[in-house]
Amino acid sequence: MLANLDSLSAAQIAAGVAAGDFTAAEVAHAALSAIDARDAEVQAYLQVTPELALDAAAAIDARRAAGEPLPPLAGVPFAIKDNMNLVGTRTTCASRMLETYESPYTATCVQRMLDAGCLPLGKVNMDEFAFGSSTESSAFKPTHNPWDLERVPGGSSGGSAAAVAAGMATLALGSDTGGSIRQPAAFCGVVGMKPSYGTVSRYGVVAFGSSLDQVGPFGRTVEDTALALDALTAGGRDPFDGTSQDAEGAFAAHLDDDIAGLRVGIIPAFMDAEGLDAEVKATVEKAASSLVDQGATLVDVDLPHLDAAIAAYYVIGPAEAFSNLARFDGVRYGYQEPDCPNLASQSALSRAHGFGAEAKRRQMLGAYLLSSGVYDRYYYAAQKARSLITADYQRAFEQVDVILMPASPTCAFRHGELSDPTQMYLSDMFTISINIAGNGGITVPCGLGTTSGMPVAVQLVGRAFDDRRLLTFARAVERAHAEATGTAGCTVAPAFAGKGGDLS
Amino acid sequence: MALTEDDVRGIAEYATIALDTEELSEMTAYLNDAVEMLEPILQYAAEDVAPTFHPIGGLANVMRADAPDANRALSTNEALANAGAQHDGQFRVPSILGGER
Repeated sequence: MLANLDSLSAAQIAAGVAAGDFTAAEVAHAALSAIDARDAEVQAYLQVTPELALDAAAAIDARRAAGEPLPPLAGVPFAIKDNMNLVGTRTTCASRMLETYESPYTATCVQRMLDAGCLPLGKVNMDEFAFGSSTESSAFKPTHNPWDLERVPGGSSGGSAAAVAAGMATLALGSDTGGSIRQPAAFCGVVGMKPSYGTVSRYGVVAFGSSLDQVGPFGRTVEDTALALDALTAGGRDPFDGTSQDAEGAFAAHLDDDIAGLRVGIIPAFMDAEGLDAEVKATVEKAASSLVDQGATLVDVDLPHLDAAIAAYYVIGPAEAFSNLARFDGVRYGYQEPDCPNLASQSALSRAHGFGAEAKRRQMLGAYLLSSGVYDRYYYAAQKARSLITADYQRAFEQVDVILMPASPTCAFRHGELSDPTQMYLSDMFTISINIAGNGGITVPCGLGTTSGMPVAVQLVGRAFDDRRLLTFARAVERAHAEATGTAGCTVAPAFAGKGGDLS
Repeated sequence: MALTEDDVRGIAEYATIALDTEELSEMTAYLNDAVEMLEPILQYAAEDVAPTFHPIGGLANVMRADAPDANRALSTNEALANAGAQHDGQFRVPSILGGER
């Protein structure tokens, strides 16, 4: 018997398939058996796609048998957030509204993972239409944190983070509008990256806030995450997304670049923020000193307008969401209320019964903020705050190369613990500002909290389109943590490691 | 000034979401909480700075050639496949003007 699939990195799986140590079909079977053995408890998947995974694996194995060169991630299993289209799957956004919606085409981000040789295991749970920070607003089921099933996995990409943390996928795709990749990555002890806005195409991803949304990868190591970003950007700019930009590329190739002489920013106001748990603060401080040990310098930076970020976000986000979700009228797709006397009542009832509570709240808030007389007061003020926040980051990045901060004020909270919607919004305090400004950020796990025993993490934030350097710093934090603790980077949650998933 | 249930009923009509009585009351409480949370943004209205509507400046609309794209065009059947009701190759809707609201 060979290793368990969950002990292998993406790079090791691709190398093993290329060398003939095991076939892509064997990897697919192992991944599906891990899902069989583990997902009843975690509930990360909304739809598992054995046929698609095995077909993709068979295509890889046939290419190898024919002596053709294999793509870089040949045979690596991955999970897809259920707001991304893939032909042959439903794309539900975890909403009754789209419960039976069959993907009519494939999103560019998903297609690029397939082009890189990855095997699609299925679609994973999320907060409904990505509105939330706990995956509790999914219309179908809650997802549980693999480190403690009583706790949430974070959100909105909670299924993506939980699937990777429980070893039910080697890589996963998520989307991040206000922290929806980075916060669940922190809660589940995995790496999660929101690249700079425009780096990854949004074509085929159901829109939430079009000026904020960005797709990004999850992995158990920084290297895996960088390899996924290489795959996502390998085709260059996507002509089907007008905001798509050319990325630097070669992300994995620069992970071990020297950080000596580079400057790491610390935001004192963040470190003293009300609500920041002591164990999270200690984790950030430890990571900072580990970067100093590697030759970097710490510099205090002041971003005076970050206070406005949450209010600006909860103007811009709901306003854009209201516009984007207006398309769900019950006619062309989505839930359709039966037996309505006229079109107006069909639309209003389809939307009332198709959307869940939080999706209705966000749209109602957006509708109010965009209404006559209100629009001028809030919307313009929020976009002015956006200018000031962006300028704050630009000034800070004249002094430093990267900024180190918490990803979330606490470790994963318990199901039902944050029941008030506006309290839930405040939990995004450290992640939201870079969606507003557009620069990249990455969460790096740093072991378990001394008090909670749950995963704790740090967040690194970079200049816009300086994501390669961001990954280099993430690798430096990961490397120092691994050396200090004698662990090999981050691991699968112990309750699930080795259950199913044997490569035989 | 706090939003009343009547205000919220008007917003729901604008948003095309038929809220029931209980939802209307919960939504009124929520919107008042949320708007209070947004108050700090009002101080920025007077700032002498241009608004930023998008993180990437200078975006231009992307035009494709004015010709059918055979790879991306959906067939009629594909386009109708997710519709709740269809008739003779078209989306089917109830009467636009008729019936009681």
